[in-house]
Amino acid sequence: MEARGKRVHVIQGEYQVTDDPDVVLSTILGSCVAACLRDPVAGVGGMNHFLLPGDGGQTGGGEVARYGVHLMELLINGLLKKGASRDRIEAKIIGGGKTIPGLSNVGEKNAIFAKSFLEDEGIMIVGTNVGGDHGRKLEYWPVSGRARQCILNGNEAERAVARERKPIPRAAPVAAPKDDIEFF
Amino acid sequence: MSIAQKIKVLIVDDQVTSRLLLGEALQTLGFKNITVAADGAQGLKIMQTQPHHLVISDFNMPNMDGLGFLEGVRKNPATQRAAFIMLTAQGDRELVKKAAALGANNVLAKPFTIEKMKAAIEAVFGAL
Repeated sequence: MEARGKRVHVIQGEYQVTDDPDVVLSTILGSCVAACLRDPVAGVGGMNHFLLPGDGGQTGGGEVARYGVHLMELLINGLLKKGASRDRIEAKIIGGGKTIPGLSNVGEKNAIFAKSFLEDEGIMIVGTNVGGDHGRKLEYWPVSGRARQCILNGNEAERAVARERKPIPRAAPVAAPKDDIEFF
Repeated sequence: MSIAQKIKVLIVDDQVTSRLLLGEALQTLGFKNITVAADGAQGLKIMQTQPHHLVISDFNMPNMDGLGFLEGVRKNPATQRAAFIMLTAQGDRELVKKAAALGANNVLAKPFTIEKMKAAIEAVFGAL
């Protein structure tokens, strides 16, 4: 059943921040992870949806983690801009399933990354639901902090996985400058 | 001793993970002398007591943002000649203009590759 309210879908590589209590953020997760963050006092929250590319072996951990770090930073900056305070932010981590049998467990790496990132940044984790061999449909109410998930099996999970196999459209939802300006 | 080994670098970013990643990346480029700070105010304090040759600072930070920090570095005669590379998560033309006006050597949009960072540093110090 679909929740009522203003539905905003968050696709891979993107993030959304809102202070509208009627907004429901939704996303479909296979091995991707969504970090759901909110400041209960400021009444603002948001969600990102990331997949660390590669297996971390060839390019080195730093290169691989850049995309996850970037999306976490955009989400946190977005919350701070809307009046959140870093020390009040609470997080829920959802996703990171092992949906492609035989491949390295990217989902687990995504979940571990999200958890260690938030711990390093001193952001309180109030809920996690990660791992398993299934996909998830996630709904998150950023202002109230309520999260609801529906486990995807069979065809649904396959469709979710197919989405993830598509090339990542871009690293960030905001328009980056076409080139870096060099001053000399 | 390579140039990189002689350069004292100050990394300023409120995100622990970003500081660690950048620190690791700089080490692979040969930098040995790396200091970190969590915001502009802390960065400025460090620069006042131990000036660094190269500052790599995030823009969006609490207490004092990257622009305020840059302004402080350029105002102090002891630190005004330091190379300053600004990082930004949001690609914002206005920010680039403001940073340029305040004397930033370069502005890099996150996420950037190690190669881009290397090129930005080499633009100031020559080949590493």
